[in-house]
Amino acid sequence: MSMPKKIKRNYMLNLLGVLLLFFALFALFETGVLGSRSSYFMGIATTACYTIIMVTSLNLLVGILGEFSLGHAGFMSVGAYASAIVTNALADQKIPTFGLFLIALLAGGVAAGIMGVLVGIPTLKLRGDYLAIVTVAFAEIIRVAFTNFQITGGGRVMSGIAKLSNFYWVFWVTVICVTVMYLFIRSRFGRTVKAIREDYIAAEASGVNVTFYKVMTFTISAFFAGIAGSIYAHYMTAMIPTSFNFNYSAEFLTEVIIGGTGSMTGSIIGAAFLSALPEAMRTFAKYRMLGYSVVLVLIMIFRPGGIFGTWEFSLGRALDRLTGKSKKEVPENE
Amino acid sequence: MSILIQSIVNGLNQGAIYALIALGYTMVYGILRMINFAHGDFIMVGAYTMFYTVPLMVSYGMPAWLAVVAAVAVCTAVGVLVERIAYKPVRNSGSISALITALAMSLFLENLAMVLFGGNPKTVTKIFDLPMIEVFGAKIQMKYLLTLGIGLAIMVALTLFVRMTKLGKAMRAVPQDREAATIVGINVDRIITITFAIGSALAAVAAMMYVSTYPRCTTDMGSMMGIKAFIAAVLGGIGVIPGAMLGGIIVGLIEILVKVYLAPGWYEAITYGILIVVLLIKPSGILGKNTGEKV
Amino acid sequence: MKKKMVSAMLVFAMTVSLGAMTAGAEEDQVIRVGAVCAMTGGSAVYGEGAQNAIDMAVEEINASDAEYKIEIINGGKVADDAKDAKQAVNAYNSLMAEEPEAIVGSFFSSVTLPMAELAADDNMLLLATGATNYQVTQIGPTIFRNCFIDPYQGKMAAAFAKDQGYTKAAIIYAKDDDYSNGLKDAFVESAEANGIEVVYVGECTTTDTDFTAQATQAVGSDADFVFYPCFLDTVPLLVQQVRDAGFEGAIMGGDGWDGADTTGLEDYFENCYFTNHYSSEDTAPAVQEFVSKYTEKYGSDSLNACAALYYDAMYMLEEAAVNGGGSDTASLVKGMTGMKFSGVAGDIYLDENGDAIKPVVVNTYEDGQIKWLKTIAPEE
Repeated sequence: MSMPKKIKRNYMLNLLGVLLLFFALFALFETGVLGSRSSYFMGIATTACYTIIMVTSLNLLVGILGEFSLGHAGFMSVGAYASAIVTNALADQKIPTFGLFLIALLAGGVAAGIMGVLVGIPTLKLRGDYLAIVTVAFAEIIRVAFTNFQITGGGRVMSGIAKLSNFYWVFWVTVICVTVMYLFIRSRFGRTVKAIREDYIAAEASGVNVTFYKVMTFTISAFFAGIAGSIYAHYMTAMIPTSFNFNYSAEFLTEVIIGGTGSMTGSIIGAAFLSALPEAMRTFAKYRMLGYSVVLVLIMIFRPGGIFGTWEFSLGRALDRLTGKSKKEVPENE
Repeated sequence: MSILIQSIVNGLNQGAIYALIALGYTMVYGILRMINFAHGDFIMVGAYTMFYTVPLMVSYGMPAWLAVVAAVAVCTAVGVLVERIAYKPVRNSGSISALITALAMSLFLENLAMVLFGGNPKTVTKIFDLPMIEVFGAKIQMKYLLTLGIGLAIMVALTLFVRMTKLGKAMRAVPQDREAATIVGINVDRIITITFAIGSALAAVAAMMYVSTYPRCTTDMGSMMGIKAFIAAVLGGIGVIPGAMLGGIIVGLIEILVKVYLAPGWYEAITYGILIVVLLIKPSGILGKNTGEKV
Repeated sequence: MKKKMVSAMLVFAMTVSLGAMTAGAEEDQVIRVGAVCAMTGGSAVYGEGAQNAIDMAVEEINASDAEYKIEIINGGKVADDAKDAKQAVNAYNSLMAEEPEAIVGSFFSSVTLPMAELAADDNMLLLATGATNYQVTQIGPTIFRNCFIDPYQGKMAAAFAKDQGYTKAAIIYAKDDDYSNGLKDAFVESAEANGIEVVYVGECTTTDTDFTAQATQAVGSDADFVFYPCFLDTVPLLVQQVRDAGFEGAIMGGDGWDGADTTGLEDYFENCYFTNHYSSEDTAPAVQEFVSKYTEKYGSDSLNACAALYYDAMYMLEEAAVNGGGSDTASLVKGMTGMKFSGVAGDIYLDENGDAIKPVVVNTYEDGQIKWLKTIAPEE
């Protein structure tokens, strides 16, 4: 099925699709169709973007490695604080804002990645519920540490962080991050990780260094969470460690599951949908979060595998179907 | 010296409350292999029930603690409803779906309470009017002993129940092999419902002891206490009834002692750190049985 | 990637449905105000108070012959920030979409700081109500507040302790909260000058319920004064546990104590004090009217400092419009800069930073009821 030519065509289509989306959004925000609402929607879209990175990166663990983490907000906070410290230190260096933004992303990603290695090596011999609990514990330790360290505000709000995250940059960062993660899943490396998920004892028996692959996946996931964290920090400009609590981690995991474990499409839509949902419910005032939780419960009852299950959307396939060229399709992601 | 003794007393008291809550987690996990994140919120439901019923009891001249009957009734009803409506449909969709459903249920109960009871914290009327004694300069409130006593009694009763009774044996059979349990004539659905009923009733008792020590209810009290108590259950060995008791006491003691002698700002981090270390050395917890994985 | 399409469609669908509701025309004599506070989550009690106080103030102003009327946008509802920075930014943006002339809120520094950053960019008047972090008003000239700044109450508490003849102070504060840190720092700083020795500093978190460890140590340190600058939800727990540990001295807090429930703990609250913006016992007619009217309408459950600050904020905006000669943002900012205002929370003067300089009221308790003790005039 996967002929190189077809893959090439699909990538071109994807690029085209993303470009179209970008220009559609650009037109939406810049032409004033939305009137005074454009900054509101741009805000939501920015939130959706870093949430998408968070959720897809978490999906690397949940969907590909088959383990779940309830402490992803911890990695996010490492990225957020590390990048904020770096950009604060570089504030007087007259670096162009875009350069500073890239430095911030890199700093956040690397710091969170290092944290991922540190957390991953001791914990990844645990599995299932136990691993989830240990990730909760690590995230809480990170939160407490940031509350105590002077450099992260010592429990007070860290404010005055440069506002670098504008939507158009964030959009492309998100596209790049998601693409890289997608390629990672499709790579030989990703397939090995999937083999470990299916049967780690068999994988080990066939000579796969299970620990290495697990820690690497964990690290990559943390790295992207760190990038999302730096976007957050430079979007909010002020933050307090208590924001990165258990509930926030649980929100990300919920978005993965609601979207569909192992489905990138699901993660993206789950993240966009659930970060927009509380906003869409603003008119309900104090019943807003009640409505949100009801929607969650209903989705779990009626679609326990998530909205999209493991299904992946493919622009190429959709076009084929539209133009009647479709042959029998094999699910893209097994 | 008296500070040390006092701290140990305080730690035991706090630990006993964690233990009472942890018993509920362990009970459900032991049978269902499911982390019921809404258990903390059952405690919240119990606490609000106590808030409304204790003054009623007092005004009718009955002992205040009888309000626990109402709390048990309400909590059991809520627990069974939650199980039937939300958990049952996702039971076969994997542990992670069940986990998310539990998280969503927890969010739902908290927000429902917010709508019903408002955001203002409520102070619960004093339930026990017990004296305080002094031993070696440490003040020991008799209700501390009561909490500890109730915790131990429940632990013993639950252990006996699970070991000795027919129902208890059926409960132990369910997690081992659900299909085989069905084949030998165990009504799995009924067992699970009963488990939830017991777990929720325990939550009501825990709520009573909680509000008699910390006489306040807020809508988010459950999720805060819940996660600590859950950690306690895991530390002791989740699924093991005496483990919950032990884990609760350990967490309570560590927290207080760290606050007094080590680094107060870091006490939560140290508790979690100890949890990590214990799990790495013995993944099934202190009293848990290590089960090898089948190839 | 391509999967983005669907999410884009989602955003687009929302855009269309919500965009259609955008409000338009503005009337000259009406100040369009947006309000933000925590309406859901653990701090919803403040939102409840804010909403009630705003409803009350707006109703009063619009029924009076005041020159300018107030319209609360978002259908009269306070926008919810859930004490979360992300939601605060969205709440701010959603209000901005309705083209307000001023925004009031929010109550916590951690959520107000990101909003203030946006407000400074948009040149929007932001009147913060409870954000006590000193940086809030430094962000821009259109940002004001009507609450104390952190250092002020801590300093006043230390001065009060000295006045009452206390010499050894223990502090228990929430390490993970901006307000608590600020008051603690200020108290420690001014303790020495007031001849007070800080014998113990204990840390807790905003979500703690057990303070026995800190209480034991505070008692063990021989303190005669305990300073607990935290919010109302934990106050009854702390007071009870500190007293149970055998502490007989004074326990004091800041305006976060206002609204704390003393039911069943009447004895424990003897010899407890807190600094506040106003006293519900104050004989000033403005205060009396506010307290009695509020209690009559909504009960005393959500009557706290937060409610008083949002109430005052409405009147401040009306007066700013009169001073500035218009209901547009620029006039409001002009009218508010350097404003002198007299309201429930005392006689306020807004200094060059936009910070409120105002008297501090020290309250105590009698049979669980708040009693006015004294009012300390602001220092020049």
